[in-house]
Amino acid sequence: MMSFFDRLFERSARSVAQSSSRRGLLKKLGGTLVGAAAVPLLPVARADNHGGGMAKPVEQGSDTDCDYWRYCAIDGFLCSCCGGSANTCPPGTEMSPVTWIGTCHNPSDGRNYVISYNDCCGKSTCGACLCQRDEGDRPPYRPDKTNDINWCLGTASAAYHCSTAVLVGVAFEE
Amino acid sequence: MTPVSSLASVVAAGLLGLSPVVWSIDINDARARYNYQMFCQGCHTPDGSGYGDIPPLKNMMGLFLRSEAGRGFLVRVPGSATSKLSHADLAEVLNWTLENFAGSSLPQGSYQPYSAQEVAELRAQPLQEIQRTRAGILAEIAAQTP
Repeated sequence: MMSFFDRLFERSARSVAQSSSRRGLLKKLGGTLVGAAAVPLLPVARADNHGGGMAKPVEQGSDTDCDYWRYCAIDGFLCSCCGGSANTCPPGTEMSPVTWIGTCHNPSDGRNYVISYNDCCGKSTCGACLCQRDEGDRPPYRPDKTNDINWCLGTASAAYHCSTAVLVGVAFEE
Repeated sequence: MTPVSSLASVVAAGLLGLSPVVWSIDINDARARYNYQMFCQGCHTPDGSGYGDIPPLKNMMGLFLRSEAGRGFLVRVPGSATSKLSHADLAEVLNWTLENFAGSSLPQGSYQPYSAQEVAELRAQPLQEIQRTRAGILAEIAAQTP
């Protein structure tokens, strides 16, 4: 009986040994570990994840100038002058998920686009590139269309650092 | 710019094999999406998940259609009632939001769409005690569920 088990296990062990290698296991295991670890590093679009298939605007001008077309209603410091960009927050700050949204006209392609003015929060004010254009800004009694309140809502810290102007979509026109 | 008109048909109870009631509504997807972005998304977030104290629409708002008061609530809350949207556009964006975000919360997987006239009547009675009203409606709906 015991010799039967011996033969059975010997045969199956040899068959595994012939069709695989010790390094093969390490390779697969390593690939899985590295692959899983890399997933959080992939680029993630957050505020602007609504624009699937959206027509891209014709870009002209510098996003570190107050005159840049996307900043038409901005009131604050440009994140693109503070270590971030028009779409992203500088390191060490957190983008507020709650924000106000308006439209800006892009003179380069003649279209209007929906812009989300997400604030970056968690550090004291950046101090660089202060812009105040306020086009389409409304008084605080229309809270969803005003830039006069601190939009660091829903972030761990309510400290305002700078403002982004994230492209959300193309404005609808009848 | 010519808007692309889209016809969205809602088939009630079809998935569950119940008696087929068909509600047909016109939703201009581009216009409704734009109005959601402009008047709702800033707080309710792009996918309707909400955040912190901001209530989720996603897999949630359909619950309110299980009661008459709940159906009215979605129109009478300040974000809806006092928005600058016309009655027709508000009805459209509410229907669009239900279609895109309500998901599993819809009663029997479907709903009766809002009309401009229904919206006009409801938003003429804006809510005062919003959180208390909301809690009362949700308690009423929870009591219905077997």
